[in-house]
Amino acid sequence: MSFLDIVLQLIQGVNYTVLVTLTCSATGLVVGLIVVGLRRLSFPGLRFLLDSFTYIFRAIPVLVLLFMVYFGLPMSGLKVPPLLAMALSLGLIAGAYIAEVFRGALDLVDASEIIAAQSMGMSRLQILISIEFPQMIRFAFPGMVNEFTTVLKYSPFAYTVGIPEITKQAMNLASTTMRGIEIYFAVGILYFVIYRIFLAGLQLLERHYRVPGLEPK
Amino acid sequence: MALIEINNLVKVFDKQTVLAGVNLSLVEGDVKVVMGPSGCGKSTLLRCLNRLIEPTSGTIIFRGEDITKPEVDVRALRQSIGFVFQQFALYRHLTVLENVTLALRKIRGMSRSEAKEKALHELSRLDMAIHCDKYPSQISGGQKQRVALARALAMDPAVVVFDEPTSALDPIMSREVAMLIKNLHRDNVTIMCVTHDLLLGRYLSERVAFLDHGIIKAEDTFENLCNNHSDPQIRSFFEREASTS
Ligand SMILES: Nc1ncnc2c1ncn2[C@@H]1O[C@H](COP(=O)(O)OP(=O)(O)OP(=O)(O)O)[C@@H](O)[C@H]1O
Ligand SMILES: [Mg+2]
Repeated sequence: MSFLDIVLQLIQGVNYTVLVTLTCSATGLVVGLIVVGLRRLSFPGLRFLLDSFTYIFRAIPVLVLLFMVYFGLPMSGLKVPPLLAMALSLGLIAGAYIAEVFRGALDLVDASEIIAAQSMGMSRLQILISIEFPQMIRFAFPGMVNEFTTVLKYSPFAYTVGIPEITKQAMNLASTTMRGIEIYFAVGILYFVIYRIFLAGLQLLERHYRVPGLEPK
Repeated sequence: MALIEINNLVKVFDKQTVLAGVNLSLVEGDVKVVMGPSGCGKSTLLRCLNRLIEPTSGTIIFRGEDITKPEVDVRALRQSIGFVFQQFALYRHLTVLENVTLALRKIRGMSRSEAKEKALHELSRLDMAIHCDKYPSQISGGQKQRVALARALAMDPAVVVFDEPTSALDPIMSREVAMLIKNLHRDNVTIMCVTHDLLLGRYLSERVAFLDHGIIKAEDTFENLCNNHSDPQIRSFFEREASTS
């Protein structure tokens, strides 16, 4: 078996790695937006719940939460498919971190612009969607990219719930061929390539939406 | 009949009485200039007009209706009062054009093309149509204030309110903005302008209301306030401003 064969075998896991990373990143993004948005519209009482969520979920190890969701929930009669289990663990934890990134970025939105929008007669929700979120996301971009990268690096946990991603393929190969060093070297290269492609995609997006005078510092 | 009539308006923040019974009226098509020392409550007064700040007591009659009442539709009220701020407050992530179209689309429910047409009309009135694709960081302070004005005018407000429109501008740009406001007045737009800038005040109106310690201490021509008023504090306010400008 040549090195190329090893790589070709591992590539069968790439789809799953990408799928897990995109699913969990998207979950994190949506959760982050919802948390920070609801917090901003500040229904009393809700704020405490949202802050508790970010406080607690940032402290739980991904693997522990994944096991709680995937092996724990079925005990109470709820069977969770593997990808959903990833979204509910890695995705939610990423969401808690992204919510914190957003919270900081939201503070950079100029209060005078919000007052101007209120003076025009816009509602709180309209202001949130048309003014605060678009600026916040631009300010938060570097922090968001960081979180997405972290998600990619936690994606190997998906193998523990039976998703045949890259690491799973590598373990199978290693157990049958005993060529661990080459295999994990190839794994490293694959993650590096995926990471660079993700990053390039995100940078393209950032450049497309960049606004002069609003560049993230 | 007055378009706006402010009666005995009081605003207390915590324990600080900022407005202590302001009486002021503004007739349709007129321009009203309000001056006063820093911190005397000018911005607070303006923000009571569109309920950005809730007055403690008193009434504001706007087009025959008391708008301090709780059942007033605040968002509808705000749409009929155009606001222009000292710091311009343009939306930084939107182009000049989008700054003007945003409220037209979100509030007036105009289509993209309708809103664009209306916005370009207002921007070209203020010579800003050629800059419509620029972002706020790419235009000068005076140009920003034009855009802010176009954004307010696009909503066809019953009155345009200016809160120190020139104090973030250099003297030349201040003159330019003063001329714009004057032109607006000539077009029969009703205007209320709060300012430190005596040059602007004099240019816009012969008369001025002087706000101090939460009340309108005097309302008279600049000449009388500067030369003949019995209160030396008022005389010195206008003299001092006159000598520095
Ligand atoms: N939201 C608020 N809460 C508490 N106090 C406030 C608030 N807004 C304004 N004040 C106080 O009210 C007073 C008047 O403020 P205001 O901004 O109306 O003055 P101003 O005449 O516009 O001053 P300037 O010329 O500096 O703009 C100030 O002493 C200020 O500290
Ligand atoms: Mg002020």
